[in-house]
Amino acid sequence: MRFTRFRRLRSVLALAAVPLLGTGLFVPQAHAQDGPTVLRVALVQEIDHLNPFTASFASSTMVGRFAWEFLTLPSAEDATPTGGLAESWSASEDKLTWTFRIRDGVRWSDREPVTAHDAAFTFNRIMTDPKAAEANGSYVTNFARVTAPDDRTLVIETEEPQASMTALDVPIVPEHVWSGIRDMAAPETDSIEVVGVGSGPFLITEYRRNEVVRMKANPDYWRGRAEIDELQFVKFENADAAVNALRNGEIDFVNRLTQAQFDTLRGEPNIATNQASGRRYRELLMNPGARNSAGQPIGDGHPALRDVRVRRAIAKAIDPETLVEKVLGGYGELPGGLVPPIYADHHYTPPADKKYTFDLAAANRELDAAGYRRGPDGVRAGPDGRKLRFRLTARASEDYGLRATDYIAGWLDRAGIEVVKNLVSDNEVDETTSSGHYDLALSGWGTNPDPDYILAKQTCAALPATSGSSSSNAFFCDRTYDRLYQRQATELDPRRRAELVRQAQARYYEQVPSLVLGYDNVLEAWRSDRFSDFTEQPEGRGQIMEQTGYWGFYGARPADAATGADVGLPAGAWVAIGAGALLLLAGGGTVLARRRTPAEDRE
Amino acid sequence: MWQRRRSAAVRVWREFTRDRGGLVSLGVLGAVVLLAVLAPVLTDPAGLDVTRADGLPLRPPTWEYPLGTDVDGRSVLLLTLWGTRVSLLVGFAATVLSVLIGTVVGIAAAHLGGWVAAALLRFTDFFLALPSLVLAIALSSVLPRGSATIVLAIAVTSWPATARLVRAQALTVEGRPYIERAKALGGGHLHLVGRHVLPAVLPLVLANTTLVVGNSIIAESTLAFLGLGDPNAVSWGSMLQTALSSGAVSAGAWWYLLPPGLAIVVIVLSFTLVGRALETVLNPRLKGDRD
Repeated sequence: MRFTRFRRLRSVLALAAVPLLGTGLFVPQAHAQDGPTVLRVALVQEIDHLNPFTASFASSTMVGRFAWEFLTLPSAEDATPTGGLAESWSASEDKLTWTFRIRDGVRWSDREPVTAHDAAFTFNRIMTDPKAAEANGSYVTNFARVTAPDDRTLVIETEEPQASMTALDVPIVPEHVWSGIRDMAAPETDSIEVVGVGSGPFLITEYRRNEVVRMKANPDYWRGRAEIDELQFVKFENADAAVNALRNGEIDFVNRLTQAQFDTLRGEPNIATNQASGRRYRELLMNPGARNSAGQPIGDGHPALRDVRVRRAIAKAIDPETLVEKVLGGYGELPGGLVPPIYADHHYTPPADKKYTFDLAAANRELDAAGYRRGPDGVRAGPDGRKLRFRLTARASEDYGLRATDYIAGWLDRAGIEVVKNLVSDNEVDETTSSGHYDLALSGWGTNPDPDYILAKQTCAALPATSGSSSSNAFFCDRTYDRLYQRQATELDPRRRAELVRQAQARYYEQVPSLVLGYDNVLEAWRSDRFSDFTEQPEGRGQIMEQTGYWGFYGARPADAATGADVGLPAGAWVAIGAGALLLLAGGGTVLARRRTPAEDRE
Repeated sequence: MWQRRRSAAVRVWREFTRDRGGLVSLGVLGAVVLLAVLAPVLTDPAGLDVTRADGLPLRPPTWEYPLGTDVDGRSVLLLTLWGTRVSLLVGFAATVLSVLIGTVVGIAAAHLGGWVAAALLRFTDFFLALPSLVLAIALSSVLPRGSATIVLAIAVTSWPATARLVRAQALTVEGRPYIERAKALGGGHLHLVGRHVLPAVLPLVLANTTLVVGNSIIAESTLAFLGLGDPNAVSWGSMLQTALSSGAVSAGAWWYLLPPGLAIVVIVLSFTLVGRALETVLNPRLKGDRD
């Protein structure tokens, strides 16, 4: 007992020391004028894995995008497919066989050539090893055979025609490094020996958990070496700390700003801001009766939520407009289907008669009609006598989680539904939602220009084989939806496919296994006195960090005349720091890590 | 007997009133407790519901909102007032639990002696050596989120000091001749502890309690600030947490941060001053130094 106690203590202490190190170590480089140009990016989100087969947090996949080149990827200009490792590609007459021509002369960072065999290995591994399929398995479910007849030809045969073949968001890894890995879930797969060999614009050189990921410019990158020498992702425990670090010039780039932070930074000298349409949606998951792929129930979701009438009533008792207006401060777009409006072709806007309009009276009426009567304490109970008392799981690390739960609890309370807030760490949200141990939960996913990935997450085929794998999004399994999904996946005419994509989303919307709450604008800020020319995707209105590609930081250039102006803190921040310091000092003088960090969704 | 007790109480009160700081603090505490208890009567709890809040977000103080509004347009004054309830409740509950554990362990160690005392003391030392905030954080992240967990986490980490104090005092009592007489007359453990040791130790425990309350309130606020508090209730710590995470700090919204911060300072200061004053009155050694 004593031993375990000590061990736990030690891990807690280690945890406590992390933010001190993470923020402290990199301060001295603040005004480094000579030497390598280092772009320091604040990461207010955890890294789950660097291993691209298992990495699913947006932060981790972003790192992966810099390290490993794709076959093809969405272009910076308009997110249409452009060549990566593949210099050209073609489909057979029956659209079942795709041939990719691999670019000549591309090398891994250990000087080995990149060949079609590496790509074939990557896809085959995902197809045969369930652990390797965790992050990108949805792309290959329809693959029949992947072969490399020679070093420069990759042939992919699919069971059915697949529309997303030029948008395979799968990092291609070196076979000579990864073929020796037996267990894809092993922690060693996150080590530099394994993930350090890459082919992208930047290479991973150092990784300290919850501290920093360092990447250096790949000198042999086939598009040409990046203008900056080093890219550092420095972990911050909260966004305010990152914002202050940006003001002081300790870091150069921050994203996921809250509205208040964005508004303040907008007027600052030497700081440039970017407000872009986002490609991720936020949603309220409503456990529709979680099942695994064998059809056995898993988790402990409230049975009343299996009733679609209850889910629809909840959807009517929630006002996304207020959430976007107040919690997102207007920096967001109103919801419709799963695909955000930035991808206008595939975005679904429900017609007026199908739309869940915020109407508490209607929600109450419908719950009454469905047989969920209010008890003496004002809380409804189902016909089985079980009260409508739902846990609402959300991230304690982010402002949205803290505040949106207040709103949702307030509205549902007026509909006779009791909500118990359960604010936990990012990883815990991930665990509870992917194992079905939730009633309601706030979540969200990033979407790609090609809607296949996000739509595939809602099919019966995505239900987890083992509890805890994060392949299914909302444990949705519906025949009508699956049919629509299948049809869009095999439809190669873009216009007809878009129609089917919208129909599939309409079905999802109608069954509400989750309610889309809005699409955040991406709010970013950077030191304009140190860097310029970040590439937006899509051009002119898109985001810089966390793109579907590596354009943002790859295009960055050091600003011409770096004027290291001394940026002080405004009085308000000092007051706040004082108050915080007072509290912490009084509480024991120890600055402690919060395990939950501002972070975000999986991707 | 009752008369003697009453006259003793009157004497204590008289001596206590001589300490100006303690008296003022007691008045402040009384007012705060009264406000906290009467909060549901004086104010409308609907104002805490973000879906019914009608103010504009992050506005500086006005007549309508004397302490301004928070990010959701709620009155900061109202939040601070309701935060008092959670902070005081958790503070008191944790203190009662902590002092109870401390007193039982302390008296047991002093009275029983031998290997039991040795075991209890090592156990106390172990907890004394643990960094309490870290242990509290670990506990509240492992146990289910809620006020009860916070109370437990604070109590479990703050009892060793009380135990040491009580043991020391109980040892001096145990050494007095009348205890030996009581033993010789056949008094059992329960009689000795209940009739002689406990009453002699209680005044000190009482003075110590007021000091522990202050620490418990700080611990509660710290844990809530770190995001480990009860998410279903407003407390001072959770107000500060929301202010920080929503970017109100960067926006310079001082009216959002100062009220909960100052409330913590005032209440903890008051408890400390009252505790010190009581200690001076009840602990004969401290009194001797003074006169």
